[in-house]
Amino acid sequence: MTEKDLVTISEAAEILGVSVDTLRRWDKSGKLSPIKTSGAGYRLYDGSQIELFLNNLFGLAQDWVFRGTEIPSQFYCSNSAVFQARLIRMQDILMEVAELSSIFSLIVAVAGEIGNNSFDHNLGNWPDTPGIFFSYDIHKRSIVLADRGLGILATLRRVKSELNTDEESLQVAFTEILSGRAPESRGNGLKFVRKVVAENPIGLLFQTGNAELLLSKDSGVLDIRPSSKPFRGCLALITF
Amino acid sequence: MQVELKKFGTTLLSRQNGREAFAAFQSNLASLGEKEDLKLDFEGIITFSPSWGDEFLSPLIKQYGSRMVLMNTGNPSVKATLELLEKINQLTFNVG
Repeated sequence: MTEKDLVTISEAAEILGVSVDTLRRWDKSGKLSPIKTSGAGYRLYDGSQIELFLNNLFGLAQDWVFRGTEIPSQFYCSNSAVFQARLIRMQDILMEVAELSSIFSLIVAVAGEIGNNSFDHNLGNWPDTPGIFFSYDIHKRSIVLADRGLGILATLRRVKSELNTDEESLQVAFTEILSGRAPESRGNGLKFVRKVVAENPIGLLFQTGNAELLLSKDSGVLDIRPSSKPFRGCLALITF
Repeated sequence: MQVELKKFGTTLLSRQNGREAFAAFQSNLASLGEKEDLKLDFEGIITFSPSWGDEFLSPLIKQYGSRMVLMNTGNPSVKATLELLEKINQLTFNVG
């Protein structure tokens, strides 16, 4: 590491898309500490350290849904229009990857359905922070989406009041076609996700409440289990 | 009447955009003859999803039935979406 690889706290805040105060808090909590302090007492960060921090997409999304910590602005879609624009950018990048030519449109559609589901089901009802976390790493072949919304159980209960557990709600959301979902004319996107994942080399981890679902190609029976850390909202990891 | 869906965009994903496209499309439908087919061409569509499709295609097939003909549906996301919409609506699209 040379001195020229070091960045100030203001520069680090700009790269990460968070405030300087947030970086000070992250230093105190140990989430992201400066590599050294200058003689004058200024925090200095290493460029590659920031890069590594940004690369842990799933960890960043988990921190956001579990604890409500601030997330880098480049990963935050405050509304559906921002999400659509970033999704199209991801589509354009995936289109250039030769080995994904037969499935890239399915990957984009799956990510689109999961992200749009978050917006459609929480519109006007976001408990605190509206919007979603959306990021991807084409080299690691992964996409992460998360929201701090009501979660699948609460939104499905509006049309299926007999649902009691997060595990039941995942089962219904991914398998049962709900017709005539008055007063809502939406739903069924997660059935599409299941179908596409089961028929293609795509993997999915989907968490909501205290349950999680694992899906992969040819998975006939849904693998739904309790998750280790309950939270409100949804968290999804798509691999391909 | 033949309509190129790419005129609504080549990435058709959200319900909101599907609803807006359907509303905008109403003026085109006014000139459709009583026995004329409504041909929807997917040529040039890059990504398609059930959310957009449900807002746009589901009401049209309920209204026009087999007079609605879908063309160039080879894109994998188009195919997967149409299969799901057929299941949801319990009907079969007329694919030309």
